[in-house]
This record gives sequence, structure tokens and C-alpha cells, in this order.
Amino acid sequence: MFERMDDVIERIARHLRRPVQVDPALDERVMREISALPTPGGTTMVGKAWRWLRRPRQFTLTPLGGLAAAAALAAAVLLSRTEATSPAAPQVASRAFQFVLVAPRAAHVSLVGDFNDWDATRTPMRRTGGAALWTVVVPLEPGRYHYAFFVDGSRWLADPSAPVARDDDYGQPSSVLTVGGGS
Amino acid sequence: MTPNWTRAALSLLVAMVVAGRATAQQADARLERLDAATQPTVAALLDSARTAKLPTEPLVQRALEGATKRASGNAIVTAVRRLAADLGHARDALGSTASPAELTAGAAALRAGASQATLAQLRHARREPLTVPLAVLADLVASGVPADSAAAAVLGLAARARDADLVEFRRAVERDIALGAPPSAATAAAATAADVFVNAGARQQRPGRP
Repeated sequence: MFERMDDVIERIARHLRRPVQVDPALDERVMREISALPTPGGTTMVGKAWRWLRRPRQFTLTPLGGLAAAAALAAAVLLSRTEATSPAAPQVASRAFQFVLVAPRAAHVSLVGDFNDWDATRTPMRRTGGAALWTVVVPLEPGRYHYAFFVDGSRWLADPSAPVARDDDYGQPSSVLTVGGGS
Repeated sequence: MTPNWTRAALSLLVAMVVAGRATAQQADARLERLDAATQPTVAALLDSARTAKLPTEPLVQRALEGATKRASGNAIVTAVRRLAADLGHARDALGSTASPAELTAGAAALRAGASQATLAQLRHARREPLTVPLAVLADLVASGVPADSAAAAVLGLAARARDADLVEFRRAVERDIALGAPPSAATAAAATAADVFVNAGARQQRPGRP
């Protein structure tokens, strides 16, 4: 009885020791089946994105890299804030206005006002149509502007063809120009 | 959270705080034309205006006007502070949707002597931008027209008149005053003529001029 049991065990052992013939394409077939299985969370773009977002990641960052990233973010914040507060958002159509001054004895005349930062060098007027006439054309967006003529670097003159700025705070003559919204 | 992540997050947080403070304190480069004592005070006034959501460009221009006209630092600060207050009162009357141009014109009207109630009435009377009606109101009152008369005339025209009609109305009043007419009478006459013109639906293109 015991000898017969030994034979059986020996037979099983021999069977198990035989090399197993595996189909060489098995790996490929298994992987194909796995990839065809439905994945948790769905296969849509949203599902993939959601899985990507939830998958934990770990990466290292040197202090220098952290500072560089922080500087880039700070620059982006600064730029966005600066653009948001920029006064020169060109969203409104501007109209051309011609300014004229009769000043026969002037050697140099500038137009200075709210539209050019009161910078006496930015909008020089040109002598036209004779020695006495000074003109310049300036595009202006809708608004109310204070301005004056600056003659020979020393004299301020209001525009005789425009209302006088009576809310002037500095005791020098200046004029007011109102530009409407196009009508 | 790993130590690296903690470091990176802290770095970003610090950078954002620093950037926020730097932006808040970022001075307009144009203010360098002011003297060293005046510049920080004007910058602080601009910051306050920005916080109150008031337009800062008119304030910058008022300060630069003072610098170019060689006004004293005190005069510049006073002018900027006063304009900021006027802009705030104009915003109170015209509402938070008022444009910077409307607020500037509204501030001028208030400075000239118009009331906040008149500004609010104009807002309700006219759907189109109020820049020109407010500026005309300011100019009329500044020309010596009693505020009530100027307000009544502008309010009467504001609902239907175009900007160009209002400018022409102002010119007519100033011309008549220059010719010797009493301001109230000049305003009434010009308002009647303008009303007829507006009601007749007359439309013509006029060249731009001050």
C-alpha cells in the first residue's frame, strides 16, 4: 500500500518536473486583454484628467529652483497687476483735435496738458500758415482735459478759443477741452 | 507633504506676499518729477484712491500739472487731495459704474458748484455717457450761470441732446455772456434754441474743436 503511494507521488513529481510549453504570444495576449478592460473612473478625457489629478506624485525641488519658481510667479502677478492698472487701455476710439495759437513773437510753443503728462517737451507746436500761427493736432479719447500753451519756456497761455479752467489749482491760466463719446 | 513640497510652498507664499506688497507700493515712475518730499505723500494719496476704486490717472495728471507749473509741494498735495475727494463725491452721486471720464467731469461740476443731487438726476435722465453733459454743467456754472439755472438747462437737454448739441449750447451761452447778456438769461435763451434744434432732429457733422 505504502509502496503504491510512493509510486503515485513519484509519478506526480515526474509530471511536475516536465517543462511546461507556454504559448510565446501569451504575454501579448494578456496585456491586450488588460488594456481592453474598463478602468475605474471611465475612459473619457475628464476621467483621465481626474485620475491624473488624483495620482500622488513626488518630486524634489532645490531651494534655488523654488526661488526661481517663486520669482516667476511674482513676475506674473506684478505684470498682471500693472496691466490691469495701466491708464493706456486703448479701448475707446480717439478723435483728432487741432489746437491753434496766434503768437507772432513766440520762438517756441508747446501744447501741455492732461493728455501728455504735462510734459513741455512732448507736443511742440509748429509754425504754419504764416509767422504768427502755431498749430498741432492731437488724438484724444473721450474725457475732460486741462491744457495750456507754454510759450518760450516761460509763459503760460490759456487757449482763447476754449473755456477757461476755473478749477485750476496752481494759479496759472489753463483751458478745458471736453471730448465726447463720438456723437 | 514632503519637506521639499513644504519648502516650495513656503517659497511661493513668501514670494506672493512680497509681490503683493511691492505692487501696492509700486510708485508711478512719472511721480519722479515731484520733489522728494512731495512724492511719497502723493503716492500715498494714489494708493488710497486705488483702494477706494477711484481713477488715479486724473490725480497723477493734477500732480504733474503742479510739477510742470512749479507749484509748491503743499499746493500739489492739496490739489491732489481735493481732487480725490471730489472724485469720491462724484462717484457717490453717479454710482459705481461711472467711467473715469464721467467721474472727472462730475468732480469738475461739483467743484464749480453743482450739487450731487443734480449729478444723480443726470444719471437717471440720460442713458448715454455723461462726460459731456457734466462738463457743460461745470463750464456753465464756472462761467457765472447760477447752478440751479445751469442744472435745469442741462437736465432739460440731457435726455435727447447729442454731445455735439450740448457743446454748441455751451458755446452759445458763453458767446451771449461775452456779449453782455446776464448768465441766466443767456442760458435760458440758448436752452430754448437748443431744445428746438434737438426736437427738430437736426443732425449735422461738426469738426472737432475745443
